[in-house]
Amino acid sequence: MKRYALILSLVLALTAGFGCAKKSAESTGYDDGMNADLRSAIQQITDGKIYFNFDKFDIKPEYKNVLKNKAEIMKAHPSIRVRIEGNCDERGTVEYNLALGERRAQAAYDYLTQLGVNPGQMEKVSFGKENPAVQGSSESAWQQNRRDEFRVVSH
Amino acid sequence: MGRALQQNMKKFLTLLSLLSLCLWSIPVTAAVRVDIYGPGQNIVNLALATPITAPQTEAAGMGKSLQQLVEQNLSFLPFMRLTPPNTVLGGTLLPGYEQPNLDWKRFQLAGSDILVTTFWPNGDSGTRAVQIRAFETNTGGRIFGKEYPKVNSKDLPEVADRFCADLLEALTGNGAFFRSTLAFVRKSGKMRADVWLVKPTGRDLRQITNMPGEALSPAWSPDGRFVVFTNIDERSHALGVWDSSSHKVQRIPFLGNVVIGPSFMPDNKVAVALSSGSYPAIFLLNHAFKKERVLEQGPSINVSPTFDSTGTKMAFTSSRLGGPQIFMKDLRSGTVTRVSQNGSYNTEANISHDGTLVVYSRMTDFGHRIFVQDMVTGAERQITFGPGSDEQPSFCADSYFIAFSSSRGGRRGIYLTTRHGGDAKQVPTGGSASFPRWNMPGPQPRS
Repeated sequence: MKRYALILSLVLALTAGFGCAKKSAESTGYDDGMNADLRSAIQQITDGKIYFNFDKFDIKPEYKNVLKNKAEIMKAHPSIRVRIEGNCDERGTVEYNLALGERRAQAAYDYLTQLGVNPGQMEKVSFGKENPAVQGSSESAWQQNRRDEFRVVSH
Repeated sequence: MGRALQQNMKKFLTLLSLLSLCLWSIPVTAAVRVDIYGPGQNIVNLALATPITAPQTEAAGMGKSLQQLVEQNLSFLPFMRLTPPNTVLGGTLLPGYEQPNLDWKRFQLAGSDILVTTFWPNGDSGTRAVQIRAFETNTGGRIFGKEYPKVNSKDLPEVADRFCADLLEALTGNGAFFRSTLAFVRKSGKMRADVWLVKPTGRDLRQITNMPGEALSPAWSPDGRFVVFTNIDERSHALGVWDSSSHKVQRIPFLGNVVIGPSFMPDNKVAVALSSGSYPAIFLLNHAFKKERVLEQGPSINVSPTFDSTGTKMAFTSSRLGGPQIFMKDLRSGTVTRVSQNGSYNTEANISHDGTLVVYSRMTDFGHRIFVQDMVTGAERQITFGPGSDEQPSFCADSYFIAFSSSRGGRRGIYLTTRHGGDAKQVPTGGSASFPRWNMPGPQPRS
């Protein structure tokens, strides 16, 4: 009886695993079964960050192509869901930076929407200055921290 | 007849004893007053007599420990200077604790304005009563006297706090400092921080939240029951609510992306910046933490609301003129006026309870510094000068003490200064600490 119960629970666990319609890129990483096209799409979305001037949230011209590329990929892969993370450098204060980070994430979200990306494929969060990409108090470090990052949360 | 006389005599004696009890507990109006609010703050010299269990007999047990705690407490008052015992001719071990057994001259010669005597009538071991009196040395007038019954060694910090609060109140009219508890945030890793509590003297340090993500911007409810805060995890913001009656923490999500800088109004309702269209706006929540109405919004960032004790004035940060500046909104008329007039980056406003001052941080070439704006005269005053970056100022309920966080010691810590500035004193928190926020006078946290 015990053996049957064990087998049944294993079968149920396996069924639950196969039952997921979408795969969470965050929880599973890039699994081996992923096709090359999707893998490349996720890579391109994740790799291209965009950067901002101090206390600004407008998209600089040099990053518009980065976003256009992401938009094309997302339109071609409607199952991909992306989280846009807005970040700031350490110089501003915490609460204002949370609002500024949100504006930075919102700016990318609006631009991608204008380019035809389905808003349902995107979510936003601001980390303010709480999640720096690099440590340090130099202009170079600040520049790298004033950014939007793009994470594929499911595909 | 004789019986009636006896009964009358008994009544008279009972009345007399009741009257003497009342007199004992009523503070005598102090001639020594400290104007902590005016510009010319004076220094008060205070001498602590050696605690005694009998004339000339030192209380070396709890008496000594209580004395040390009182000394530590008083060191937080920038206007008070303790008289070194070795500068008192004849010493501080006295033949009594009350007039006429007190020798004022030795304390006058040492420059003391106030003498504090501590008497343990039944010894100072186990559970005992202690009487503490404060006198003015020039006139011999008693400032106040209190008996704290049934004191054991565990109670000593509380007795020290209560005595110091009473003394501070007698001298300045407000003893909120020693009755306060600070909520603050302690970081324990990348994107991980929790809310802690501590007395401004560094005692009663304790953690009240333990949840995934990062806690920011704690704020006390006026009744002392709740601490609200921002909680950020890897996907979203939420409002955290710690309830001191249940010791439980709720995480309340809102539609949208931001939950920034919650603050309580005097009626125990929360104001907080939430998503609203393209820009965060300041919302008032009802008592169930649901959106009630908008307090401030527009095509710019509006965050970090703070209120005076009447709930009619709201200071906040807004980018409506470009860079962030401090503004004040009269919630009755809706009129908004600019508070910070200098600098290009002013944030983190906190309004004093009496509504006369707004403290905020300004970005300078050397890091952030704390400034106080007098809303009556319009004068602005810088009260911190680094090093490092001084941020997140918060007014005590007495509208005198200001807590802020600073990186001056390497890692971020909590420091105390006053509305006049002066040397800052660090609050011991045992680790990295930021976002100090005072509770209101009156109810104490129940944990």
